[in-house]
Amino acid sequence: MAEYKRPESLKKTPSGFCPGCMHSLATKLIAEVVGEMGQVENCVHIVPVGCSTLNLAYWQGDVLGAAHGRAPAVATGFKRSNPDRLVFAYQGDGDLAAIGLAEIMGAANRGENFTVIFFNNQTYGMTGGQMAPTTLIGQKTTTTRYGRDPETTGYPMKMCELISTLEAPAFVARYALNTPKGCRDAKKAIRKAFDIQMASKGFSFIELLGNCPTNWGLTPLKTLEYMETNTIPYFVPGVYKDKYKDEVK
Amino acid sequence: MAKVLMKGCEAIAEAAVRAGCRFFAGYPITPQNEIPEYLSWRLPEVGGVFVQGESEVASVNMVYGAAASGCRAMTSSSGPGISLKAEGISYLAGTGLPAVIVNISRGGPGLGSIQPAQQDYLQATKALGHGGFRAMVFAPSTLQEAVDLTYNAWEYAERDRNPVMILMDGCLGAIMELVEFPEMKEPDRKGTKAWDLNRNEGDTRNARLLTPYFPEAILELKNNSQKKMFERWAQNDVQVEEFMVEDAEYIIVAYGISARVSKEAILRLREEGYKVGMIRPITLYPFPKESFNKLNYDQVKGFIDVELAIPAQMHDDIALEVKDRAPIYEYCRSGGLLFDDDGVYAAVRKILDGGAK
Amino acid sequence: MKKSLVISGSGGQGVMSAGIMIARTAVSAGKYATFLPEYGPEQRGGSAKCTVVVNDEEIISPLMAKCDTLITMNEQSFKKFGASLKAGGILIANTSRVLSEITREDITVVRVPADDLAVELGNIKCANIILIGALIGADAGIITEEAMLNSLEAKFASKKQEVLDLNKAALAKGIEYGKNAK
Repeated sequence: MAEYKRPESLKKTPSGFCPGCMHSLATKLIAEVVGEMGQVENCVHIVPVGCSTLNLAYWQGDVLGAAHGRAPAVATGFKRSNPDRLVFAYQGDGDLAAIGLAEIMGAANRGENFTVIFFNNQTYGMTGGQMAPTTLIGQKTTTTRYGRDPETTGYPMKMCELISTLEAPAFVARYALNTPKGCRDAKKAIRKAFDIQMASKGFSFIELLGNCPTNWGLTPLKTLEYMETNTIPYFVPGVYKDKYKDEVK
Repeated sequence: MAKVLMKGCEAIAEAAVRAGCRFFAGYPITPQNEIPEYLSWRLPEVGGVFVQGESEVASVNMVYGAAASGCRAMTSSSGPGISLKAEGISYLAGTGLPAVIVNISRGGPGLGSIQPAQQDYLQATKALGHGGFRAMVFAPSTLQEAVDLTYNAWEYAERDRNPVMILMDGCLGAIMELVEFPEMKEPDRKGTKAWDLNRNEGDTRNARLLTPYFPEAILELKNNSQKKMFERWAQNDVQVEEFMVEDAEYIIVAYGISARVSKEAILRLREEGYKVGMIRPITLYPFPKESFNKLNYDQVKGFIDVELAIPAQMHDDIALEVKDRAPIYEYCRSGGLLFDDDGVYAAVRKILDGGAK
Repeated sequence: MKKSLVISGSGGQGVMSAGIMIARTAVSAGKYATFLPEYGPEQRGGSAKCTVVVNDEEIISPLMAKCDTLITMNEQSFKKFGASLKAGGILIANTSRVLSEITREDITVVRVPADDLAVELGNIKCANIILIGALIGADAGIITEEAMLNSLEAKFASKKQEVLDLNKAALAKGIEYGKNAK
């Protein structure tokens, strides 16, 4: 039986995330993959602005802080001048799909050889639960008190679908973290994305559907149900683009 | 190396390559397009990287990423683009990363005009971004000086772990004149720099390159050490040209292209017996305070601030040092309109005649 | 001696390339030179003007109110910059396009139907070389014929011989007009 232990890429400090928040889960999955690949020393984690910034406190390995939304630009500069390092940015939905829309689309379109892991929990967590570009129709946030109204705020943005229309990206996929299977599949995809990068085969984008118990106002257990009935039907999990279906396992 | 006839923007670009710059990201904006255009082919020749960013904001953040690996990196723009880069420049200062930012300046505010101006002095010297940091600002007035200042810019940037700005008007960006290039420096990428995320084998990893935001005490410490750094600059790093000031009764204060036109006017006025000189700041920040404080105010009857900016933006810095010991006059054009030799001569002469009588 | 030259016309007439060629030629002859282009925002067909300063010593100011020599390649630029020529200066007008009467009597006027001559020679694009020739023929004191011939040879070294020959013929034609105007 496999031993369950703390991944090498995480420090022995408690997580700063709220109880039941899937940021912890997502970070652990990434950390496990980095450790299993023997890349703890070689990995550079681009930390953006948002709840994801909290990662810097317990990520074991090199960390480079980026301005809000700019992680793909910072990663571009770093990776282009250090092509051998394993570089990934871990961005939330406000960071990536609102203020950083130009940077993610630019990097994806250039086919930059790094990985972006997109944590989509449909809200601005750190600033207190405002509407994100991915907030679902009707979902209540501190800036959409009566629920998101598409008449004035448009519709939730589907980043995998958008990015997969581009020619350059190598691997684009979405997973939901509300079931053990979802987590296992997500981990496999992260591994695949990092393998693609280490083989210099281009840009990879993994979207992880997550929760925000605190700002959604639900218990962690209830968020799993909420995701199943609300989030997943809109943000459909799956592989949206895979240039190396048979080559990289 | 023999002197070559070269365009200002291209001279800066080549000087950067020779200084060991191996990463450039930028976005098209007039009148600085020759910098990215030149580097787009020149950097790959020397194993460097050129990226045309999707925006000014992205470009400066790419430079931030490259700088974090010990790579000498640069971006360039003009006024409107520098406003957009303000975020990234502040992050460079906050994280403590060296980089060179070039502003080939044009008329403003807003879209302004694409013609040359010096309307970004205040932005460059007082607030290049949020959070109250400073950067050294170099203002060349000849292309040779532009080459030399760009070539040395990373020495300051790396010493201080802080961005450095080259501020040059669009006139000097577009002009062609003779320059001589210094020898090629080989970039040092062995992981010996304190801010480099690539350390030598055996060094402990787990590096953190972040703009500090908690705990608060750490940020205050950083602010304090920056304050001391700015004070050291004022002590040690001022560069200034003092031209015919020993016996001068009137002193023109000008930088960049304005200083060159003013110098021509001074030579003409001297021939007519007027005792005129010039203080030309080469570092706009740190400002050459001592050049004003050491003057004999029984002799000096006035200053004339000559700038391609209305209202004059350097005026306040001059006034802080002159402390009402002599009047400060202004002769300015702006919006993209240039000086000429006759114009500066006539305007200064009018002030001298009016002031002396 | 410090000499200033303004070349003006519309975009596409070879104003800038003529200015750069003159500056390069002066530099190759051991002089100091500055070349300052001024463009409108248009990519095509806007106004084009450049200032070339040539001197035996380092050039302090490259910006001046009045020039020693003025080349106007079209009517519009003649009207705009005609007055900026110093008294005693040389005006070289491309009379294929400068149609106004030139009334100033305090200057030397070189009238060159450069566009028509260029078409006769076989290519409108060499009109600017004809005007550079006129500059040399009129003894503007900026560059010499020998230095300019060297520049042409260097510039068109990689092109077919006909291209060089055409430009040399254009230069000679311009010099002829310049000399006759004195």
